[in-house]
Amino acid sequence: MNYLRTFPIVRASVVAGSVAVMALIAMVLTKTGRAAPAPAPVDKTATNVGEAACIKCHKAENTQFTHTLHANAFRLNPKNEKEKLSCEACHGPGSAHVEDTTKLGTLVGFTRAWGTPVGQQNAMCLQCHSGGNAMHWESSVHSRQQLSCADCHNPMAKISATGLLKKQSINETCYTCHQQQRGEFAKRSHMPLPEGKMSCADCHNPHGSTTKALVKNDSVNELCYTCHGDKRGPFLWEHAPVRDNCLSCHNAHGSNHDKLLTVARPFSCQQCHGNTNHQATLYNAGQIVGGGANPNSRAIGRSCTNCHSQVHGSNHPAGARFQR
Amino acid sequence: MKTNFLPQVSGLALCAMVAFALPFATSAAGVGPTLGNKESASADRSRSADPDWPIVNHTPSGQMFQLPFSVPKLADIKKNAAGWEYSGQLEFGYIGGDAGERDAGYRMYQDIDEGAYVNKFNLLLKNSDGAFVDVTGGGAGRRDQYYGLHFGRTNAWQVKMHFSETPHIFTDTYKSLWSGVGTGNLVLLPGLTPGGTASTSADTAAVTSASLGTQPMTLGLTRKRGGVRLDLTLSSALKVFASYALEKREGARPLGAVWGNNGGTAPMEIAEPIDHDTTDIAAGVIYASGLHAFNFRWTTSLFKNKIDTLTFQEPFRIAPQGFATTPAVGAYTQGRLDLTPSNEAHNARAEYTRKLPDFFKGAFTAVVSAGTWRQNDSLIPYTTIPGITSANVTLLPGGAWDTVGSLSRSSAKGVIDTRLIDLTLSLNPTPALNVKAKARYYENDNNSDPYYAVNPNAVYVDADAATAGSQTRGLTYGGFTGVWGRPLNDASGSGGVLFAGNPNPTGSVVVRNQIYSSKQYRLGPTADYQLTKTANFTASAEREITQRTNRERARTWDDRYKVGYVNRALRNSTLRASYEYGQRRGSRYVTAYYEDAFSAAFIPMPIAIGSNVTSWAVRNNSGLRNYELSDRNQHVANLRLDTMVRSNLDVGVSVQLRESRYPDAAFGRGKDSQDSANLDFNYQPSPKQNIYGFYSYQQGRIRQATITSGANVTIGAVTPLGVVTPENVSTIGPAPGGPFYLLGNQWSARSTDRNHVVGAGVKQEIGKATLNVDYSYSLGRTRLAYQYGIGGALNAANAALAGDRMPDLATDISYLDASLRYALTDRVALRLVYRNQWEAIRDWHYRNLAATPVVTANVANPPTVVILDSGPQDYRVNWFGVMFQIKL
Repeated sequence: MNYLRTFPIVRASVVAGSVAVMALIAMVLTKTGRAAPAPAPVDKTATNVGEAACIKCHKAENTQFTHTLHANAFRLNPKNEKEKLSCEACHGPGSAHVEDTTKLGTLVGFTRAWGTPVGQQNAMCLQCHSGGNAMHWESSVHSRQQLSCADCHNPMAKISATGLLKKQSINETCYTCHQQQRGEFAKRSHMPLPEGKMSCADCHNPHGSTTKALVKNDSVNELCYTCHGDKRGPFLWEHAPVRDNCLSCHNAHGSNHDKLLTVARPFSCQQCHGNTNHQATLYNAGQIVGGGANPNSRAIGRSCTNCHSQVHGSNHPAGARFQR
Repeated sequence: MKTNFLPQVSGLALCAMVAFALPFATSAAGVGPTLGNKESASADRSRSADPDWPIVNHTPSGQMFQLPFSVPKLADIKKNAAGWEYSGQLEFGYIGGDAGERDAGYRMYQDIDEGAYVNKFNLLLKNSDGAFVDVTGGGAGRRDQYYGLHFGRTNAWQVKMHFSETPHIFTDTYKSLWSGVGTGNLVLLPGLTPGGTASTSADTAAVTSASLGTQPMTLGLTRKRGGVRLDLTLSSALKVFASYALEKREGARPLGAVWGNNGGTAPMEIAEPIDHDTTDIAAGVIYASGLHAFNFRWTTSLFKNKIDTLTFQEPFRIAPQGFATTPAVGAYTQGRLDLTPSNEAHNARAEYTRKLPDFFKGAFTAVVSAGTWRQNDSLIPYTTIPGITSANVTLLPGGAWDTVGSLSRSSAKGVIDTRLIDLTLSLNPTPALNVKAKARYYENDNNSDPYYAVNPNAVYVDADAATAGSQTRGLTYGGFTGVWGRPLNDASGSGGVLFAGNPNPTGSVVVRNQIYSSKQYRLGPTADYQLTKTANFTASAEREITQRTNRERARTWDDRYKVGYVNRALRNSTLRASYEYGQRRGSRYVTAYYEDAFSAAFIPMPIAIGSNVTSWAVRNNSGLRNYELSDRNQHVANLRLDTMVRSNLDVGVSVQLRESRYPDAAFGRGKDSQDSANLDFNYQPSPKQNIYGFYSYQQGRIRQATITSGANVTIGAVTPLGVVTPENVSTIGPAPGGPFYLLGNQWSARSTDRNHVVGAGVKQEIGKATLNVDYSYSLGRTRLAYQYGIGGALNAANAALAGDRMPDLATDISYLDASLRYALTDRVALRLVYRNQWEAIRDWHYRNLAATPVVTANVANPPTVVILDSGPQDYRVNWFGVMFQIKL
């Protein structure tokens, strides 16, 4: 056991490896090769007609589709019989639609007008996109909100650089529903999304997560450390709410205050710190520069962090007050 | 070729898998690094829509799909002699006007400048086998440049390589008093005296003169990240991948550093050097077929801080207060900070889903994740000042405070292990009903050894003032014997070492660190009932129990109940509504939970009448509750409506109301709320015209209260809560209304953030010309109002200056991006760009600091604070660009 404690890589490997082995055993012991239930066809009597039949009418769609990743996969290197169907891989057998092109519901459609139930739409996508990134789709808030894959993606056209999104970027796609967050990114301090250097998907997995708010990592802090490794520590002197949750003090998207803080300093700190001396003193407008004869460092500049600058934790033996 | 190459790549990937011990899944890693910048997005928007696209469609929720961009028709797709299809474009040109503005707000995350500019390029090649090469880039040569190379064979393998830079500018008005900014050693400029002179007023004058006379400089860092990722599709069900990335951050940022006294005197804004490397390694496997899906992932993150300490010379003469007897005043010339330590993190994660078609059409998902964060930096001595001695302490050989012999151990030995188990069982008892049972366990287990602040190579001359006579010995606690506490602020402060400066016993000297760990359990059901084919109702309940060590509350439990409703069949509309009620409660809240971290753990509290026992009795206001632990009642309501007003016009409305009250918090945060309302529209009358607009309003409020501390707590004192005795002092001492927290001293504050964001844009194609205009305006105001009793928290004179609020924090940001693209030929277009951007900002923290960097009430004393950057500044820029777009 000491060996395992000493070498975290080994220890973590043992844990994850054990689960891997169990999963593999489970797979072997169950009916191997048994297929998952296929999505129900819209018209059970319909048969495949081949993409050439589709293209006869849908030339403009084909022009766009040709430039997509799906077209490349289906046409240039299909990995199974389903993909070889091309259009019908996603829309289902097309014979009924060919017979009566005006009749809605003869194919799986991904637009509002076509009216295919969302569950049926998503089932078509999940034929290929289950597991992996979408392992937790079914229990995600997006699924519970009855979102269709096509509410974010447009597989028919390459509008975005990656991901076949309905808008040019991940952020613009998310903003179509999350306007509140777009407004938050427009605040004084913000993550660099408006500047194009970050995307919503850097922090969130829109296809589902085991962590609330579709956060990609096991906790908010684990997520933040992926970019802010300098805050990870563990420090000799830890600051409890900092270790607990970065969101104790920071807004994730944007803020009217410096450093994405939820409240201006020193009031931010004084929500918890009320001990003797300066902690519970009311610093006020009379103590900013020009406010009176007795300016105070807690009301100026970096406020509490003028002195307690190592507020995320200190590794200095004298750093219990985060001053070193 | 491909049949030979595939096994080679497979071999490489498998080697990588073996090397990293465990595979990895794309969960949360399905999107690569963001490649782009502000300008390249502007170029993207200028592309023409496909005139042949047959119809404006709506997403299933009722939002218009963006019309696709014009792309080559099949017959027009270009091929080279080898049969590779290719396409590409390049935008380059010249930017003039005010683009070179240096303001930190303007340049915070972007690097626009005057002169020639390669804005964006991309090249895509593919052949009939599915092989492809995709090259992209932009902002060439600028600090927000980015490049990507993506090649492989679709559905078989792919390699993604990327490099991206992101600037982060903190200030462009920093006036350094030191040379060596960006290094770990700040040396005072000529004319400033390390340790100050005999005349504080002269030192203040010299520092003021230096700071005003120094040319302002920019403090910022650049984040450079590059990496490579290999994805390999081994079969239709099985994929593996491995990735490597290296990120370098270099630069400097402002940092506070304090000197002398107990809490501190004359804090100054120094420059922290940033020279960080982060190496990220990941590998994994993804499997999905039939009834099974599993992912495995291994990640390693190695963070290295190449400048571990920051030593700064100090220009003021501050007499060490009560701790050091030698060296003499004036010898305290410099301080040293221990910068963030190098560390490493490893995580292994396994996810498995088993579909259960024969058991209520269900599915079972299990996730196990284990990680560890570690750092073992060498610890530095308490001070760099040699010859520190103090009354009542005898340093033994090797125990000098400026040596590591004064430490209880030589390295940090920090270890936190994390563990996650997450289980979900999903069942469909009827076609219309889905129920899920979820259980989650997450642990943040700090396995670091406690650090004891003790000098094991020092002894007390008189360790117990309560006992007559000199006692040459140390005190023992936690298995260590020596002199307890730590010299504050490079030994220029007082009160940090037990019995050194202050011969009287005290209970508030920090003698060890705190180890914080937590365990979180969450479980509960979710039900989703399909009311009709187009309407759903969801309900969920969960309990989240959190156990924490060494916190005010050992255990809290959050109960959350949520209902939601989705209706997609309202006339041309989709409605989504939800409401959540949450209630947090917990075990007994103990304000003085951390007594073992203080000298009170082994120094008995005096019990004689008249003894000042504040340092034993008071850690915090016992009526104050930390809001992350406090009881809480929370309401969250969400409403969203997407409606298609016309076939070419859709409107979205969303509202969120969130309120939290903290019923047991007489002091601390009492309430917070955030209300948001948003409206947007999108109008697409033809492929050649698009108009959009949006408006967002948000109001956030936080209410807090506390009590300014009053008189000391003494045994025998008569207080409104009774006579203080040794038995009741821990109750009366920290209680509101007691001797220390006089109710007349209480005050409260309310912070109100209000934000309006409005934006609009138009895209109009007229013949060969395309006009794009995008505009946004963001207004932010924060009012921080307070209430207090005159004669209590503030006296009458101070109250007259304080008024009832701080000056409002105000930010106005306006952004206009306009471009006119004109197609000169089929392959060449001219794009004229105009940018108007301005920001006006008022922040009381930095008011008047540009003219008064050295803030002092009395030049005979060390200054109140020295702030060397002027804070956020207004800016206004107008620039233009003449860009050419060339298509291959």
